[in-house]
Amino acid sequence: MSNIEEKISEAKKLALQITRETEEDRLMTLSVGPQHPGSGHFRFVIKVDGDYIVYVDPDPGYVHRGHEKMCEYRNHFQNIPHLERPVIHDSCNITYSYSLAVEDLVGITVPRRGQFIRALASELSRLSYTLYWLAIYGIFLGHSTMFMWPAGDRELLIDLLERLTGARITNAFSIPGGVRCDIPNNFKEKCLAQVNYFEKRLKEYEDIFFNNPLLRQRTEGVGILTKEDAIKLGVTGSVLRASGVPFDVRKVEPYDVYNEIDFQVQYMKTCDSFARAYVPLLDMRESCHIIRQLIDKMPESGDVREKLQFNIKSSPGETYKRVESGRGALGYHVVSDGSPKPYRVKASVGSFRNLLALPFLLTGSKLGDMPAIYWSLNYWPVEADR
Amino acid sequence: MGSLTPDFRFGNFVGSIVWLVFVVLALVTLLILPIIFFVLFYVPLPEVDGEVLTPYLFFSMMVDPSRTLPVVQFFIHTDLFRAAIFPGFGFAALIAAATIFIERKLLAKMQLRVGPLYAGKVEGIFQLLADGLKLLTKEIIVPSGSDKPIFWLAPIMFVSTAAAVVALIPVADGWVVADVSVGLIAAFAILGFFPLIALLFSWSSNSKYPFIGGLRALHQMIAFEIPFFLSALPVVILSSSLNLTEIARSQNLFMNIFILPINAFVFFISSLAELERIPFDLPEAESEIVAGWLTETTGMLYGLIQLGSYLKLYALAGLFVVLFLGGWSGPQIFPPELIPGAHDSNLPLLQMLALDGLYNPVTVNSIFWFMIKTIIVILLMLIIRGINPRIRIDILLHTGWYKLIVLTFINLFIVLMLIYGGVIGPGGLISIR
Amino acid sequence: MDKNSTKTTQENEISLKEEDSNYPLSNTLLTSINSNFGDNAKIVYKKEYRSKIMVKPENLVETALFLRNNHGFDHVESASGTDYPADNEIELNYHLGSYSNIDYYPYIVILSTRVNRDDPKSNSLINIFPSVEYHERETYEMLGVYFLGHPRNERFILPEDWADIPPLRKDFRIKGR
Repeated sequence: MSNIEEKISEAKKLALQITRETEEDRLMTLSVGPQHPGSGHFRFVIKVDGDYIVYVDPDPGYVHRGHEKMCEYRNHFQNIPHLERPVIHDSCNITYSYSLAVEDLVGITVPRRGQFIRALASELSRLSYTLYWLAIYGIFLGHSTMFMWPAGDRELLIDLLERLTGARITNAFSIPGGVRCDIPNNFKEKCLAQVNYFEKRLKEYEDIFFNNPLLRQRTEGVGILTKEDAIKLGVTGSVLRASGVPFDVRKVEPYDVYNEIDFQVQYMKTCDSFARAYVPLLDMRESCHIIRQLIDKMPESGDVREKLQFNIKSSPGETYKRVESGRGALGYHVVSDGSPKPYRVKASVGSFRNLLALPFLLTGSKLGDMPAIYWSLNYWPVEADR
Repeated sequence: MGSLTPDFRFGNFVGSIVWLVFVVLALVTLLILPIIFFVLFYVPLPEVDGEVLTPYLFFSMMVDPSRTLPVVQFFIHTDLFRAAIFPGFGFAALIAAATIFIERKLLAKMQLRVGPLYAGKVEGIFQLLADGLKLLTKEIIVPSGSDKPIFWLAPIMFVSTAAAVVALIPVADGWVVADVSVGLIAAFAILGFFPLIALLFSWSSNSKYPFIGGLRALHQMIAFEIPFFLSALPVVILSSSLNLTEIARSQNLFMNIFILPINAFVFFISSLAELERIPFDLPEAESEIVAGWLTETTGMLYGLIQLGSYLKLYALAGLFVVLFLGGWSGPQIFPPELIPGAHDSNLPLLQMLALDGLYNPVTVNSIFWFMIKTIIVILLMLIIRGINPRIRIDILLHTGWYKLIVLTFINLFIVLMLIYGGVIGPGGLISIR
Repeated sequence: MDKNSTKTTQENEISLKEEDSNYPLSNTLLTSINSNFGDNAKIVYKKEYRSKIMVKPENLVETALFLRNNHGFDHVESASGTDYPADNEIELNYHLGSYSNIDYYPYIVILSTRVNRDDPKSNSLINIFPSVEYHERETYEMLGVYFLGHPRNERFILPEDWADIPPLRKDFRIKGR
């Protein structure tokens, strides 16, 4: 960082001497988003000095719908379908966390088979989200094939989720007490076949995208977020793991059946944009292993959900439960006052926490590095706005 | 496929057709026929084979094969035909259209999708037509703060400049629009206009993203123009001529690419950069600067610039073929007559099909080989788009200024050594002439 | 849910706390807190990987500093607030986590304080945890708590033309509900 800043300040001084302009005259303010093709539902105002970005101000909130407030008006079951809206591609994870919190408040445990199915849906959902994210990372760097391939392969996982839950993306599958329904016939075989095929495809992604010398030239050593800075900024998920902190909620605080699953926390120590793009790929490989183990260890029969009455009353109190979503730790802080409706729900989402790294990394980088840094942060604007 | 609207009535449909026919008839009687008569009254008709080309003669030529060919031949040898249709604009535009279609289909196959499918029933072959019609019917929005004359003029300048490069490319011996003795220099000079047009257009749009895109285009094209020229220099030394026809003709023994592989590579990379194609499409990088210098284009202005850039793609592929792949040289595979003994036959239809007087086996063979080589080069340029990401501006400038320029000199020195060693060149062991 | 006093909640939690449980992480942390702050830091509950400490607003910064320096809690997972109109107070919750102390990876300590609802002001923790920046900005606009020492107490997620009371206050009602 400091090296780049010195370079910028030297270049500025030199340029000011030649042109005799004031500093403000040299800066050009660009509004990136919300109609910009490289921003998503999000805006950040940047000021560029030549090709260097010298000032960044994120401005989220274009898709804010106040679902923390909405939660206070509905009971726990009614909350599930609208809680998954922020990340419909990762819907099984974002409802997972809320379900865990409610189960903790009510004081029940989910039947074992239900726990396995819930974890299975969560892994499928994570894979589908990561593929979507990877597709957009590809097109942001101008690699159109990398846009189409993951988006096409995601369809396989969407099909699986559709067989499992009945809906393509807005699943509303994990509810307080377990999952909504049992797995259909022949699902295990189909799931294993798709996952085996998908693992082969991951190798091809590596060949066409991650081993491409032009991509490496573009992303390696770009947007370095050192371990100290990552900890200081409190980032999470793949951004944190790419900075060398092996933190994965599934491992450090196993929920449901994850303490019976054997998997590694994938992390890299290069801290750059490439690592932040590569760690999700490694995660996808681990997810494939996890899915195999889940299918292997799943009990053959049993209940999938603890039957709760619709207006279930929880004991007064509060809880904070988190799961590992596609974007990192996703926690729900639920306060209950004993009525069927939660008193206060606060979602601590990975996107919102990773957003803080955006101004930190973009300041001092080149304009051409903007998409490589911005989308490597695993930032999902809709989730951050909630 | 589509469904009828709820208030559809067959009577309305028939009525609209009758109304349309009535309008057409009225237009023809009131407007078109008088114009034709005025024209026929004042304009002297041309003379073909000692006869005045009256409408009667013209129509009789269309049915009588013995009278057909002179008209076509007369037309083919005019400069207008060359500039507008065959080696010039029309031909190049057709190739450009085919290139766009093939690019979309090829890219789609690489990316496991189907590409254009519905327009034209068969694999979407009329997709381009549909896109063109759509672009034509769209409103052209001119930004309020823009410099309007330049804003309107720049897309047209872009297309005409691209067409001017096309005019210099010979597709066969003698088949070139402008056979100038400094053809290569002229081609480079005309290509040098493109960054200026991009900058003018981006500046006249009075918008931020186009401005950055225009500056990027300027940087990129200037950085790559020098290796572009330098890579063509050994070709000129080898063939001792700047005329593109001469350069192509001088390679009838072997192609330049066998002596100059590095230069051919540099030329290829530089032409990708000149064309602003991936991985060098920085001036239009959509995730950084929206659409670069094309951000404010709408409707047909955008269509014209796309047409121009694909014309340019054809022109640069053709230039690559002429400079390095021996132009139109290739084994003679076409027979001396299209249908042997047909022009001696009594059957008029067979006489027509023989294309006697039009069919020249050497020219057709040349055009065939030129087309094959050009299409291969174009395909190479297209495939790169499917497998590479965009690179960054500083890496791009570094590549242009430091790496490619140095690479061109290596091959230049090799050629000079071979010439002074008496291996190639005039009077060498392997004489080109 | 409305106007429901939270005193019962608190009592319930404290009774939970009084059960003698063997949670080693919680025990070491809470003993250390207790010995340093005494009555200034009230322990609301402790679970296996969670514990909640209630401090007075004036002790917030020093408790946070103590937790960061002595126990390695180096970031916040979220900073939020809960409105309690019955007590005329707003409760601020900082969910502190640790990335540098591997023992405390699964642990979340909820540092919480209560400020007056009529004129909610609290000291910002931005100098201790830089990761709190956007969370506090969000809390400012959602609950109207002014953070002293925070550089930008301004609009973040809500629309620019928002002209109502902070929406997460309990007296803000969604229309039609």
